[in-house]
Amino acid sequence: MALLELKHTDISYGKRLIVKDCNLTMNQGEIVSIVGESGSGKTTVIRAVLGLLPGGGKVTNGDILFEGETLLNKSKDEWRKLRGTDISMIFQDSGAMMNPTRKVGDAFVEYILTHEKISRKDAWDKGVEMLERMRLPDGNNIMRSYPFQLSGGMRQRVGIAMGMTYQPKLLLADEPTSALDVTTQAQIIRQFMELRDEYGTSIIIVTHNLGVAAYMADYLIVMKNGVIEDQGDRDHMLHQSDNAYTKKLLDAVPSLGGTRYV
Amino acid sequence: MFDEKDMILEAKHITRKFPAAGGRTLVACNDINLKMYKGKTLGLVGESGCGKSTFMRFLVALDTPTEGEIIYKGRDITKLKGEELRQNRQNIQMVFQDPSGSFNPKMKIRDIICEPLLNFKRIKKSEVDKVAREYLEMVDLPGDFADRYPHNMSGGQRQRIAIARAIALEPEIIVMDEATCALDVSVQKTIIELIVNLQKKKNITIGFIAHDLGLIQSFAHQIAVMYLGNIVEILPAEDIDKHAMHPYTKALLGAVFDLNMDFSKKIESIDSEAPSPLDAPAGCPFCDRCDRCMPICKEKRASLITVEEGHEVACHLYTKEA
Ligand SMILES: Nc1ncnc2c1ncn2[C@@H]1O[C@H](COP(=O)(O)OP(=O)(O)OP(=O)(O)O)[C@@H](O)[C@H]1O
Ligand SMILES: Nc1ncnc2c1ncn2[C@@H]1O[C@H](COP(=O)(O)OP(=O)(O)O)[C@@H](O)[C@H]1O
Ligand SMILES: [Mg+2]
Ligand SMILES: [Mg+2]
Repeated sequence: MALLELKHTDISYGKRLIVKDCNLTMNQGEIVSIVGESGSGKTTVIRAVLGLLPGGGKVTNGDILFEGETLLNKSKDEWRKLRGTDISMIFQDSGAMMNPTRKVGDAFVEYILTHEKISRKDAWDKGVEMLERMRLPDGNNIMRSYPFQLSGGMRQRVGIAMGMTYQPKLLLADEPTSALDVTTQAQIIRQFMELRDEYGTSIIIVTHNLGVAAYMADYLIVMKNGVIEDQGDRDHMLHQSDNAYTKKLLDAVPSLGGTRYV
Repeated sequence: MFDEKDMILEAKHITRKFPAAGGRTLVACNDINLKMYKGKTLGLVGESGCGKSTFMRFLVALDTPTEGEIIYKGRDITKLKGEELRQNRQNIQMVFQDPSGSFNPKMKIRDIICEPLLNFKRIKKSEVDKVAREYLEMVDLPGDFADRYPHNMSGGQRQRIAIARAIALEPEIIVMDEATCALDVSVQKTIIELIVNLQKKKNITIGFIAHDLGLIQSFAHQIAVMYLGNIVEILPAEDIDKHAMHPYTKALLGAVFDLNMDFSKKIESIDSEAPSPLDAPAGCPFCDRCDRCMPICKEKRASLITVEEGHEVACHLYTKEA
């Protein structure tokens, strides 16, 4: 049985149809990279998988199945059990997701306590341990900080630490490294790969970095204007695809020693 | 490489300290000296949390340094107040790393883009719609977006709204803090071409923070590399991969994901964690993670020395005492 299946999925915000006829099958331990046009619906697709579409957003056609079961009519309670443990998400901008008036530690402890019955002290220690595993030095200080006191990249790593706490079966990562420097990005990508290799975690990563997408992916998807415009394995997508948009994207990737405009 | 008479802004000995938990002090910027030149682009790269945004925020007076001054048009702009400060905002504009926070969620895109123009009486109320559409199209968005609210947009679309708003004022200096990181590479290319054209036409100065070294080297003139609050290297952007000297700059270059890389290779990156800015090493900020670390590096911080015109590096490998 596939881990995740999207079947002819349409997603709308209000009356506007945003994602059209999206089909995807993913097995345990697979990594899928989604790249493509800004505004094409990448975030929308993965938010739909997690049942977290913003107000007005709705799957209007087709189905989304996780381990063979539809995700479309889960109750709030069922979602609470699934989210964070079986399916976890790392957002494009963890900073904006965090409540600015609460310290990182309070949010992290509360997150852990919704999933496990342990003492606050143990939850705190677990949070610190996760932060340090994500290479955030001085976890205690970070737990005691407000989000605005951390840099964008640090906030992002806090988000990743939370998302990875329970080694989910499926990890959805929306531009998880866009705000990170390249050495940290390399560490995080390596961490994702280790999660897959050690725990068989399946990952969907949305990224604008085609190098990262290609490095990680068993399978690449290119989205444009709400539809899957092109797809295939790495070799196909990098070297054999004759899709005009895929080629345009590949062409626009900046590279060291590449074109200079000045 | 640059003519001193074209220098438009100079940051001198900028230090910023923040109070941290437990009565400690976090040094986000440590004695930063940088110059910006008319019509040129300064790229700023470095570890997340190393102080890049903290530094650039001084340029638009969102924060004031603990020590040091920033000279622009003969004045220290960190000390401007009231009407002078307000007027100066026309000259230096910043596009923020996370634009969502800087938009009023109740305002339509049209008004977000044109608010500064109206504030400074550059356009009339009746022109708002036309002007907003013009700038939307410049950043590769449909003119109809003028009617939307910021929360109804994707991350990359919001980023472009922020860019449109900043360029609309036609500032002399524009600072872009990771302003294209949420854009697909094709749109990113459009934006870079747009600002490079603006630069050529209007001779504007650009400060550009980004992590993508391939991107920065494609249009910057000069790149400053920052680590734990310190500038460790300043070098010409062209052929940065060939000229980089500081071990940290080299580590950055080695961690780039490229389409031509060997995908079967394990990822190499510095293994260790960056120290917290709360307990930066006494010597070179990078010494704990550097594979060329020498005894002196643990004791004494190297200062920037000029190795070539336009190229400075702070590393004991290249100082004479070592
Ligand atoms: N809450 C919302 N209400 C209405 N429309 C929305 C909402 N969020 C996004 N949209 C629209 O839906 C489309 C898809 O947005 P989505 O965020 O999925 O794009 P994306 O592919 O993730 O883009 P990016 O690469 O810029 O993050 C866009 O045209 C956007 O304007
Ligand atoms: N308002 C603040 N209060 C306390 N610490 C801050 C504040 N803003 C930034 N910092 C700290 O200063 C350091 C540099 O942050 P920042 O300039 O955002 O980094 P960058 O932009 O290079 O990623 C970080 O350690 C961050 O936690
Ligand atoms: Mg998105
Ligand atoms: Mg920053």
